[in-house]
Amino acid sequence: MKRTLIIAGWLAAAAVSAYACHLAVHYPTPIDRALPFLAAVITLAGAPIAVPLLIAAEIAILDETTRLIAMGIIWSAATAVAAFNPRAAARGYRIAIASLLLLRWIPFENVHLVREIFLLLIAIAIVWLLRGTALAVLVAVVVCLITPALPLRTLALPLAVLFALALIRFFHMPRIALTVPSLFALACILTFFAWSGVVARAFPYFTRPPLGDVRRETVNAALAPSRSITIDVPPDATGLIVSGANVAHLRRGAALGMIEPGAIPIRIGDASDWGYMRRDFFYGGHNPLPRLSAGHLRDYGYVAWVDGAGLVPLPNAKTIRVTADASLPANAALQVEGFALR
Amino acid sequence: MIWSAVIALALLPLIVLRGKTLGTWYVTAAAIAVYAVILERRGLGIDRMIVVALAFAVLMAFVAIGEKVKFSANRAALIAGVVYFFVIGPMTKVPIDGDEPFYLLVTESIVHDFDLDLANQYRDIAHTASGRTDLKPQLGDPVGSHGQQYSRTEPLFSLLLVPGYLIAGLQGAVATIALFGVLLVRSTMRWLEDEGISDDVLRAVFPLFAFGPPVLFYAARLWPEVPAAFCFVEALRGMRAHRAQRWLLALFALVLLKLRFVLLGIGLLALRLRKRRAVIIAAIIVAPMILLTVVVGNPLNVHSWRELLPVAPSNYARGFFGLLLDGAGGIAFQAPFFLLGIYAITRWRETPKGFRYGILASLLYILYLLPRDEWTGGWSPPLRYIVFLMPVLALGAASVWHRVSRGVVMMIVVWTIGVALHGLARPWRLFHIANGENAIGEWLSTMYRADFSRMFPSFIRINDAAIIGSVALIAILLLARLRIPSHVAISAVALAIAYGFVVAQRPARTIQFEDAHVVHEGGALYPEEYAVIRFAYRGGWVLNANDSLSFLAQQGPDTLEYVSGPGARIAIDGSEVRLPSNGDHYATARINVPHAGRVTLRCLEGAVNLDRMVREDNVRMVHD
Repeated sequence: MKRTLIIAGWLAAAAVSAYACHLAVHYPTPIDRALPFLAAVITLAGAPIAVPLLIAAEIAILDETTRLIAMGIIWSAATAVAAFNPRAAARGYRIAIASLLLLRWIPFENVHLVREIFLLLIAIAIVWLLRGTALAVLVAVVVCLITPALPLRTLALPLAVLFALALIRFFHMPRIALTVPSLFALACILTFFAWSGVVARAFPYFTRPPLGDVRRETVNAALAPSRSITIDVPPDATGLIVSGANVAHLRRGAALGMIEPGAIPIRIGDASDWGYMRRDFFYGGHNPLPRLSAGHLRDYGYVAWVDGAGLVPLPNAKTIRVTADASLPANAALQVEGFALR
Repeated sequence: MIWSAVIALALLPLIVLRGKTLGTWYVTAAAIAVYAVILERRGLGIDRMIVVALAFAVLMAFVAIGEKVKFSANRAALIAGVVYFFVIGPMTKVPIDGDEPFYLLVTESIVHDFDLDLANQYRDIAHTASGRTDLKPQLGDPVGSHGQQYSRTEPLFSLLLVPGYLIAGLQGAVATIALFGVLLVRSTMRWLEDEGISDDVLRAVFPLFAFGPPVLFYAARLWPEVPAAFCFVEALRGMRAHRAQRWLLALFALVLLKLRFVLLGIGLLALRLRKRRAVIIAAIIVAPMILLTVVVGNPLNVHSWRELLPVAPSNYARGFFGLLLDGAGGIAFQAPFFLLGIYAITRWRETPKGFRYGILASLLYILYLLPRDEWTGGWSPPLRYIVFLMPVLALGAASVWHRVSRGVVMMIVVWTIGVALHGLARPWRLFHIANGENAIGEWLSTMYRADFSRMFPSFIRINDAAIIGSVALIAILLLARLRIPSHVAISAVALAIAYGFVVAQRPARTIQFEDAHVVHEGGALYPEEYAVIRFAYRGGWVLNANDSLSFLAQQGPDTLEYVSGPGARIAIDGSEVRLPSNGDHYATARINVPHAGRVTLRCLEGAVNLDRMVREDNVRMVHD
């Protein structure tokens, strides 16, 4: 009876928290609209203190990027608090499930329910095999996060990890907690949950300055193989922003084109296919995140992605000639998006 | 500055943490640093000092709940000393304000002229270390028989600042108070130990007391509140330990610091009435009055005996709930940790004897503070007049610590960190013009152009939230014994915030024209921001011809309250109203708001001081 009352109390608190967040939603992004869901999840994960803070962030922070990162920081801090709470039962499982719901279930219309529930079960198994430690939560979250689940065969990755951990557990691996480093890594992931798709597919994007937001002068030219374009360089230009079209299958180092004078090569790694990071195409592609990614963050949650634009240095000239490499496939193109300005 | 703060943060843990806890802290600190770098690279411009302050908050969490912690009053004092040293910079980056520059002026007079006559200081005001060249004698400052210009402030406090001032000017004077802050922390921790507070509770309470408002802010500003709190704790400790030399000296210093603390002396006297030493205490109380009679010719300085007469009971209720709940100057919003001390009063018999002593000794003082208009503290950081009581409330809070739900504690911690960071980052916001708004309310009102301030209880300009808040406080204190689970309490608070947000965006029933949500196109604030005893006026906004205001309003008839010498003609979204001249008395006029939503009120001719606009059904309710 007492246990039933406790569960009812938690469910009631989650429902009230969700309703409170429903009242507070003020902005139209999928993340803001998912606030009630977030509130219910974080309450049931054992960190209800995050709910008033999430509401405060929604109310008080106008700038979208700052607001969404602030929500991520709040979630990370609440997770750390919950992880250190010795009174909370099964906190490792709760945190792992809550983290995956946060990272993979927004926006809800893109959730493949059966696959996601299967992934949650794998996460629970991983946490159990690693004995509920913070490291266990981190491994479960990372493995399930980087699994696109599209196509279905990608589920082989978490299953392989699960199998390996089962073997290790069978051979009496000692309990490894690594609490602080694990929670730190988890915090870094959760902070950018609003773009969890990018976290899953190109986390280093978030460790670099946001070049996608720099001032630009647009060129918008798509060059078929061997075609070239001559353009004047604006006086305050700091680099050329380029991307590829239909080049997602090329590997790092493959030539995309060249800038004259100076014979500056443009390769995969300097820029990538414009849409290579979309969830549906990522598994089939081989492009890496450009070294100096100038892509914009697009969409939210697990379907978020960054376009493959990269920043290429300019020669010291007033006019440049950009040529698409002749070896590009016939349907491919080198896209000159524009100049990054100081 | 930032690097010295980082080095301090690296060394501080060595004072209190040991073994595995110390190692874990360093790993955590490194993680916080890397995390901050990642955020900074993403363009999230968080002030690095704020990051250091947050890392310090995490360190305090380690002190509070760590396994290997070596804690003592001396170690606490050492930590407080380092932190207060770093707080001096942010607190003095803007000119000192309120009574502070006057205290410093007296110090300068003592140092340079060996007297208390400030006449030459005012003549040569350009050379004061405060940098406040706008200083003039305050209203009611005593004037000597030969034209001497004295300050209304008691001289002992300024005298205490002399050594620090001689060493390092203004910074040295502030450092002197920081030193008293360190002594206060040490004394309070020792007192809590003496009263039987366990080590784990002591460690949890220490950061909330020492590094939370109001002690943090007053420990690095030139007010006598922190030295007074130290003297009060020492007096209470001395009494409890039956060490007469200690408490007699402390009490003597206390009443010399500020005459109002005589009321505390009388409280302590009442507690010791059956002892022979009551006579000595009485002598201590009378001594400063004799001193003041000699110096300024009035035993009550700038006060009068008339102030001791009881006033209307409603004023007591207003001051009482105001001190507890007011958005700008109440404990709940400005120093929520000490609400636990208030809660401890409801468990009177279970509290330590020292707590009961402290509360009883301060009752008379509180009783005389409550009905006064300046219960908020006037032009000063919040809770000025009850800073001395904070160690007592901290003891009360410590005594009920294990009875309070962890969720409530968590909310208090988060709010305390927020208030402390806000005060350190924007020290000028610690001063408020006492117009019934508060920092958060003004900020949100400006952001949304809607009246958010009315969502926060105000007892300066009593609003609906004040009534609701008072009833809620009583209910919470009555229901506190039910032990509501923390997740339920937190979700209820979340619901209250969200509902408040929804309601705040709707047009208000009362429009206060000087408020932040009103868009002012011309005109001026009345009375001006730095008016002396500003809280005693009805605030408003003065409009001349062609000035206008816009705000959210409800459709229908309203009553406009105004003052106009020459009379005025105004229009509210085209609907004209003539406001007859009414001299310097407030009058009312009926006005019809043509539609709901944002409306513009324009002054077409004449001039008018607009106080407020109230919905007629609201006015009828008040009259009924």
